[in-house]
Amino acid sequence: MEAKEQSKKKESWYWNWLLGSVALRLILIYFSTNLNLASRPEISTPLTSLRRLAEGYWLRQSSMSPYAGSMYHGSPLLLSLLGPLTAKRIEGQPDHILCSLVFVIADVASAMFIRATGRNLQIAYSQSSKFLDLVKLSEKSDILPSGDIAALVYLWNPFTIFACVGLSTSPVENLAIILSLYGACRRIAPLAAFGWVVATHLSLYPVILIIPMILLLGYGPDTPPRKLFLQRKYFEVGETPSNDRCQQEEAVDQPELPYVFSWRSVIHFLFWTSLWLVYVLVLCGVSVKHYGGLWELFKRTYGFMLTVQDLSPNMGVLWYFFAEVFDFFRNFFLIVFHGNILFMILPLAIRLKHRPFFLAFVYIVISSMLKSYPSVGDSALYLGLLGLFVNELADMKFSFFLFCGYIGVSLLSPVMHNLWIWRGTGNANFYFATAMAYACLQIILVVESVSAMLNHDRKLRKLSATKVLDGKT
Amino acid sequence: MGESESESEAPKVKLRPIVRLGMFLISHSHLLSVVCCTAGVLTLLLLPLLAKNTYISENALMPGSANPMLSSQEVSEANGLVKDLTNLDLKPMASGIESQRLIAQYMSNLGAEVSFQKFYPQSNQFHPLHFFSSPDSATIRENISCSSYGLNTVGIIRAPRGDGKEAIVLVTPYNSEKIGLGEALSLGIAYSVFSLLTRVTWLAKDIIWVVADSKYGEYAAVDAWLRDYYIPVFSGLGIQNAEMCHGLEENAITERDMRDGFKRAGTMAAALVIKVVDRSEQFEDSLSIYAEASNGQMPNLDLINIVNYLAVHRQGLRIKVEKMWSLLNCKWLMILGEILESLGHLAKSLNPQWKFGIPAVDYVEGTATLASSLYYQALGIPTGPHGAFRDYQVDAITLEISSRVSSNNKGRQNDFLLRGGRLIEGVIRSVNNLLEKFHQSFFLYLLTSPSKFLSVGVYMIAFALLVASLPMVAASLYGHANNLDPGFEKNKSNHPASASDELGITLRSWKWLYAAKKVLVVHLWGAVVLLLPYFICQIPNCSPTTSFVVWVLLSIFSLIILFWILGSPFSYVNASQPQQREWALLKSVTISAAFIGLCLMSVINFATAEIGALLMVPMCLMAHPLKLDVKSRKLRNISRVACNLALAFIGLPPTAFLVFKCVFEGFDGISVGDFWNWLESIWAWSSATYLYIGMIHLPCWILCIHVILHPC
Repeated sequence: MEAKEQSKKKESWYWNWLLGSVALRLILIYFSTNLNLASRPEISTPLTSLRRLAEGYWLRQSSMSPYAGSMYHGSPLLLSLLGPLTAKRIEGQPDHILCSLVFVIADVASAMFIRATGRNLQIAYSQSSKFLDLVKLSEKSDILPSGDIAALVYLWNPFTIFACVGLSTSPVENLAIILSLYGACRRIAPLAAFGWVVATHLSLYPVILIIPMILLLGYGPDTPPRKLFLQRKYFEVGETPSNDRCQQEEAVDQPELPYVFSWRSVIHFLFWTSLWLVYVLVLCGVSVKHYGGLWELFKRTYGFMLTVQDLSPNMGVLWYFFAEVFDFFRNFFLIVFHGNILFMILPLAIRLKHRPFFLAFVYIVISSMLKSYPSVGDSALYLGLLGLFVNELADMKFSFFLFCGYIGVSLLSPVMHNLWIWRGTGNANFYFATAMAYACLQIILVVESVSAMLNHDRKLRKLSATKVLDGKT
Repeated sequence: MGESESESEAPKVKLRPIVRLGMFLISHSHLLSVVCCTAGVLTLLLLPLLAKNTYISENALMPGSANPMLSSQEVSEANGLVKDLTNLDLKPMASGIESQRLIAQYMSNLGAEVSFQKFYPQSNQFHPLHFFSSPDSATIRENISCSSYGLNTVGIIRAPRGDGKEAIVLVTPYNSEKIGLGEALSLGIAYSVFSLLTRVTWLAKDIIWVVADSKYGEYAAVDAWLRDYYIPVFSGLGIQNAEMCHGLEENAITERDMRDGFKRAGTMAAALVIKVVDRSEQFEDSLSIYAEASNGQMPNLDLINIVNYLAVHRQGLRIKVEKMWSLLNCKWLMILGEILESLGHLAKSLNPQWKFGIPAVDYVEGTATLASSLYYQALGIPTGPHGAFRDYQVDAITLEISSRVSSNNKGRQNDFLLRGGRLIEGVIRSVNNLLEKFHQSFFLYLLTSPSKFLSVGVYMIAFALLVASLPMVAASLYGHANNLDPGFEKNKSNHPASASDELGITLRSWKWLYAAKKVLVVHLWGAVVLLLPYFICQIPNCSPTTSFVVWVLLSIFSLIILFWILGSPFSYVNASQPQQREWALLKSVTISAAFIGLCLMSVINFATAEIGALLMVPMCLMAHPLKLDVKSRKLRNISRVACNLALAFIGLPPTAFLVFKCVFEGFDGISVGDFWNWLESIWAWSSATYLYIGMIHLPCWILCIHVILHPC
C-alpha cells in the first residue's frame, strides 16, 4: 500500500518536472529573439538550421531547386513537413513559433519514449538478475527508476533546451533515433525499421545503429554476459536433488531467457526496413523530380556531409582540420576521418554484444564526436541515453570531472567565439581549443562509461560465482 | 579531478605515470596550494620587473620616417578657427547651431565633404547579454525627446590614391553650448592637420573628421555616430522619430544638409580622439594616453607605440599614462622596490649578464601604473570616447594634450598647435602606410609605463599560479570525501567480497550531485540578485544608501524564498547515509565552480579575474567549518578561524570595495551608498564585471560562508 502511494507520488513528481520543462521552453521561445540562439554555431549547423530550411522552402515555392545556392542541405521530406510552418507568421508572436512548438512536442515525445525504453530495460535487468539469483541487485534497481531519470535528464539538459529553443531541427532527428531504439527494444519491427530509416535519411550517421538494433531484436534488451547464464544453467543441471524443487521452480519461472538469437524478428525487421526504405526513396524521388532527381539529392545532402564542404566553425574538430589541409590530401583525410567511426564498430560490437542498447549509446557518442557538423543537439541525445544506465554505471569514475568539464566547455565556447568573431582580439585557435577540449571530454566519457559497464559485468560474474560456490558448499 | 578514486581500486597494479603524478599532486595539495598562492601573489608583485620595452611590430608603419609637412600656414589657418570659435562663445546670443555651421563652413572651404548627423541622447540601458551579442542587437530606442538633440559635424576627405575602402578617423569632442579654450585648441589641431591632408598626395585612406557634440557626453555622441555609420536604420523607429521631430525643426540650413544623407567612407583602420586640457600648473606640455575600452579591451599596442615614439622622439612631449597616485607614497612598496633593486645588483655582480633589477623609484611607478591599468580594465568602463570604436573592432585611443597656453600668448599657442598637429600628422601618415588592419602587435597587454608593457603570456603566469591550487584542492577534497567514508572503510576491511557492501557503495561516485544542486541554486540566486537593481532603479527619489539597503534586503529575502521553493538545500541532510564529510564535497564543488568562473572571466576580462582571484582564492581554500575548529582548541585551529573570518569579511564585494576605498582614498566621507553608485556605473555600462560580481563572486562567498557555518 505504502509502496503504491510512493510510486504514485513519484509519478506525479515526474509529471510535474515534465510540465516544468515544457513551461521553461515556452518562456524561452517567447524571448527567443532576445537570446538570438539560432545564430550560434554550437546550436544550428548547416544541416540543422531552421533558417536554412526556410530558405530552401522559399526557393522551392518559387519553383527552384531547394538545394540551389548551397543554403539547404537537409531532407526534402523535412522541407515538406516543416516548410509550411516556417512561412506562417502569427502577429505579435516571435518568428517560427509553430516550428518551435513542433520541436517542443518532439522533445516531449522523445522523453516519453526514453522513459518507456527505460522501463523495458529495467524489467529485463531485474529479470536477468532474478535469474542469476542476485535479488539484492534487483531491489537496488527498484530504487532508481532509470527511465524516469533518463527522460528528465533529457528534458532538463540545457543542451536539449537550447537545441529546442534555438531553432535547429535536431529534436526531430533525435526523436527518430529514439523511436527506432524504442521499437527495437520492444521488438516492434515496423516501428524500429521506420525509425531507423527516417533517422538515417535525416542525418545519415544513425546508419551504424543497424548493428545494435539487429542485436536488440535478436537477443532482446541488455543482459549480463551470456556466459553467466550458461554457467548457471550448467550448475542447475549438475545440481544435487536436495534443493531441486526451488531451482526447478525458478527454471519454470524464467523459461525463455534470451540467449538464443531469434532470426525471425531480425528478418521481420529487415523486411520492414526495405519496405520503408523504398517508400522514403519514392517520396524523395517524387519531391525532387524536377530538381535533378535522387542523385542530385544525395550529392547535396549526404555528399555535403561526407565531403565537409562547409568550413564555418562549429563544435567539432573537422572544420579546422579541413581548413588547414592541402587540397591534394583532402580526399585521403576525408576517408581517414570517416573511417575512424567505422573502425570502431566491429570491436565494440564484439565486446558489447550482450548489451546492445549500451552499444547503441556508445555508437551515438562516437558518431556525434566525429561527425562533420556536430551540434549540442547530438550531445543532448547521448547524455539523455546515459541516464538509462544509471544502475549499471553507478560506479563510473570521473563523473564529477566530466560534469565540470561539460559546464566549463559549454560556457567557454561562446566566449571564445565572441573573442574571435566580434572582438577580434582572439583567433581561430581560441575557439578550436574549446572544440578539442570538448572532443577530449567525449572521449573520456566513452572510455569511462564502457569501462564502468565492463566492471559492472565483472562484478556480476564475481557475485554469481560466489553464489554458485555458496550453493555448492 | 577524480584521479584519486583509482587509488582504492587497484593499489597493487602499477599505475600510469600521469595518474601517479595526479595522485602526488593531490596528496600534497595543502602544501602545493600554499606555495602556488604565494607564488601567484609574488609574481604579481614582480610583474613590473618583467615588463618589456615596447617596439613597433608592424614594419609597414615606419613612424617618423618622413619629415612633417605641417607648416605655419596651416597653423595660422587653424588659429583663425580658434579665434572665431572663442569669439562665438563670447557672443551672448550664439546658439549651438552657430558653431557647427562655422566648423562646417571651414571644412567645406577646404574642399571636404561635410555632413551633419543628428542624434538623440539615450539613457544608459542595462543589457545583461550585451557582451555576447553583436552591437546591433543592443539598440533599443525609446524615450526620445525631440527638443534635446546633439549635432555632430562630419567632414570627409577622399584620398587621391585610395579606393575609398579604408578610412582614418579623427574625433574632436566639444561642447557646442560652451566652447572652452581647450576644446577650441583641439579643434584647431584637428583643423590644421585636416587642411594639410586636403593638399597632400600620399594619402591612401580617406580621412574622416568627426566634430562630436559632447553636450550629452563625449561617448554618447561618438557612439551615436558610429551606430549610424555601421548599422543604418532602414525602417521602423529611427525614421519615425526623425519624422516626428521634423515639425519642431526650424533651422532650414541644417535641415537641408541632413537630407543630403549620412556620408560614409570605408572601414576604419584607426581612430584618434584629440582633446586638449588646460593645466597651467604644469611646466611643460604633456600627453596622456587613454586606451581602455569596454570590458578591459585595449587597442592594438602598435597604435600606442607610434604615438609614444612620435611624441617622445619627434615632438618632445612628455607621455603619461594613468597612475594610481596613492601607491606612489606607499612605504612597503618602496621597501620592496629597494630589496628588488639590491637583489638585481647582487645578481649582476654574480653574473654580469643577469639584468633584471630596476631602480626602486621605477619599480614603484611601474606598480602604480600597473595597478591603475588593472583597475581601469577591471571596471570595464571605457575611459573615453575611444571606447565606442572598440565595439566595432576599430583600434582607437584618446590623446589628451595638456597645455599651458593662455589665449593672449600668441607665440606659445602657435608652437603648441604646430607640435600637436605634427604629432597627429605623423600618426596618420604611419597608419596610412598600413596594408592590413592592425594585427601584428598585442591586443592583450597591461602597461607599466608608456613605453613598457606586459604581454598576455607574462601576466597570465601570475593568474595561473593563483588559480592552479583550486582544482588540486577540489580533487583532494573530493577524493577524501569519497574514500574516507567511515562506514565504507569498515565494511570493506571486515568482509571484502560480500555482496551487500559491494552494492552499498554504488552511487558513491554520484554523491556530489547533492552538493552540485546546492551550488547551482546559489548561482541561480546570484542571477536573481543581478536583476534586482533593474527594479530598484524604477523607485523614484531613492538615495544611494536606501537603494543599497533595499537591494540587500531583497537579496536576502529572495535567498530565503528560493530555498523554500527548491527544498531548502541549506538544511538538507542526507538521511540515508549521514554524511560527516558533506561539507568537504560542498567545498569541493564550490571550488570547482569558482575555478570555472575565474577561468571564464580571465578570458572575458583578465583584470577582473585577477583581482577577483586575489580576493576569492584564499577565501575558498581556507574555508573550514567553525564547529570543527572550535572543538579542537589548538592554536592552529584558532588561527584558521581568525583567517576564515577575516577573509570572509573582505571577500564580500561591498566590504571589499569599502575597505579598498578606505585604504586608497582615506576614511572621510565613506558610505555604503558609494558602493551602490559604483555598482550602478558598471551596471549602466553593461560591464562584464557586474556579471562577475553577481554570478561568480557573490555565490561563491555565500557558499564559503555556508561551509564555515556548516553544522557537521
